[in-house]
Amino acid sequence: MSAITGSQPTTEPPAPEERGPGLAGRIAALPGDIARHWSDYLYILPALGIMLVVIAYPIFYTVRLSFYSTPANLAMDDKIWIGLDNYRRILTSDSFRSVTRNTLEWTVFSTFFAYVIGLGAALVIQREFPGRSIVRGVLLIPWVISYVSAAYIWKWLYHSDYGLINDTLIRLNIVDQNINILDNIHRALPALIIANIWKEFPFAMIMLLAGLQGVPDQLHRAAKVDGAGTWARFWHITMPQLKSVSVVTILLLMLTNLNSFTLVWVMTGGGPAGSTDIWITQIYQLAFGRTRFGVASAYSVILFLIMMALGYFYVKALTRGDAEREGA
Amino acid sequence: MSSNYERTAGSRKRLDAWGIAGWVFLLLLLVFTVVPLAWMLSTALKTQLGALQFPPRWIPTNPTTENFRMLLDPNDDIGRRFLRYMLNSLWVSTATTVVGVLVAVPAAYAFSRFRFPGRNSLFYGVLLRNMFPAVIFLIPLFILMRNLRLVNSYGSLIITYLTFGLPLSIWLLKGFYDNIPVQLEQAARIDGASRFQAFIRIVMPLSAPGIVATAIYSFILAWNEYVYALTFITDDRKLTVPVGLQRFFSEYVANWPGLMAAAFLMSIPVVVMFLVLQKYFVRALTEGAIKQ
Repeated sequence: MSAITGSQPTTEPPAPEERGPGLAGRIAALPGDIARHWSDYLYILPALGIMLVVIAYPIFYTVRLSFYSTPANLAMDDKIWIGLDNYRRILTSDSFRSVTRNTLEWTVFSTFFAYVIGLGAALVIQREFPGRSIVRGVLLIPWVISYVSAAYIWKWLYHSDYGLINDTLIRLNIVDQNINILDNIHRALPALIIANIWKEFPFAMIMLLAGLQGVPDQLHRAAKVDGAGTWARFWHITMPQLKSVSVVTILLLMLTNLNSFTLVWVMTGGGPAGSTDIWITQIYQLAFGRTRFGVASAYSVILFLIMMALGYFYVKALTRGDAEREGA
Repeated sequence: MSSNYERTAGSRKRLDAWGIAGWVFLLLLLVFTVVPLAWMLSTALKTQLGALQFPPRWIPTNPTTENFRMLLDPNDDIGRRFLRYMLNSLWVSTATTVVGVLVAVPAAYAFSRFRFPGRNSLFYGVLLRNMFPAVIFLIPLFILMRNLRLVNSYGSLIITYLTFGLPLSIWLLKGFYDNIPVQLEQAARIDGASRFQAFIRIVMPLSAPGIVATAIYSFILAWNEYVYALTFITDDRKLTVPVGLQRFFSEYVANWPGLMAAAFLMSIPVVVMFLVLQKYFVRALTEGAIKQ
């Protein structure tokens, strides 16, 4: 914190009109710039240091490990270079295909419904009504509690002998006797997706709720004077205003879902018969269940490349928001 | 605000189909949200025998607080373990939060105020942390912690959790600092305040909601984290609550009331904290992240 006390006149924040200097000029002045701004870096040094140790090093290490066959006893000095064999083995295996299909199903359905439900919730919560902040708080609870708690709550709801869901299904005459849910290869994944939507829709809701604050009232009133109905106003005024928030929310949901582990691991462990196995549970199983760190690392790298592609769009969505803001 | 009231008052008079559909949707959503939570509490108040009944009952026939008493009794074997898990989690989460704020505040301030070369790439580099699958870090970090003899230490968890919270914290706080006019600081500087004094007296109070929001966020992330705790901590005495809960269940299979009581107790700190401070969180998201 002592860095803050040192006051360099050169670190004075520039006036707004100095923003966005020409690119060529910037490159030419780069070394001098860095020297002149050296103390600025002190502020971000702790953050960067932590990020480097816990991010840059692991990425490097994982990529390296993915070209090796590793011994089961974790004595990493005995690893053997095998080139792309790990990758070849993964990409040609049947399990990769089924795990990828599960992951896509899990990600697409969870993201879609979490977003749609979150959007609906945000639009209703935005209205003024008594008890509004209580309702908002209650709807946010699933997002705040841990995935482990959520997993056990839903595991208990789905219980094949004593579960509330079975009881409800019987009362509604949908089934006439208890059914297996998490032990059934066709029902387990949809059941997990429902639990996941329960856990995630509040995140979409709170993001979109924040986004709705930016929609100017005048637009709505003007459209109303012109005779636009609720649907027309939603589609032509609200949605365009929510576009950038929506892009960020959907991308974050997708990334979270591609990274899911806890819910699946605690509720089914990837079973029955691999029907709920997704990428991360598969990698965890390979690494810490069967101690095949080399193959697991190669798996991580494949996943990493897919995430990077998504990450590119995420950063692009974020930067576009910044550019609009600075232009405004 | 007044315009907002006018609008809703107008639409309420008409009570169009969309308005009604909205309320019905909200009602269904509340049921979807609340039923699992209420079921957790109802089960936690049952005896073990009472929970294993079909059809299940919403109101326990012989309600009991025995499950909670067992978990909170330091003289009981289970209680001693559960309380230790809670304390471990409290320590790890608090340390993560405090260090996280101390690291995020200067970084976000620098990203907002200074124009040093590489500022944008470094900023988005920090945000990229969210892109990476957690497992890609899990394997090398596990090996690293093993080589550094940090397995079974809280330090291994704290430093890892920091990187989860930092990107969003820095992003949110930068948004706050962007919104605070530089002129306020400059005025203070002209009046003889140092940069640090201007920061403490002017910038900090104005960004307090953002700091509160990022602190809650870091705390909740650390309190709820499971995968790294599962991998880095094997010593039962050092487990955090989420893994402890799972350990507990694998030993006392079918003790659903005990498990639900434990899930309920471990949710209380974060839920209460969040409900009390949610307005800061919503405000931080609105002002910090999603400005139009």
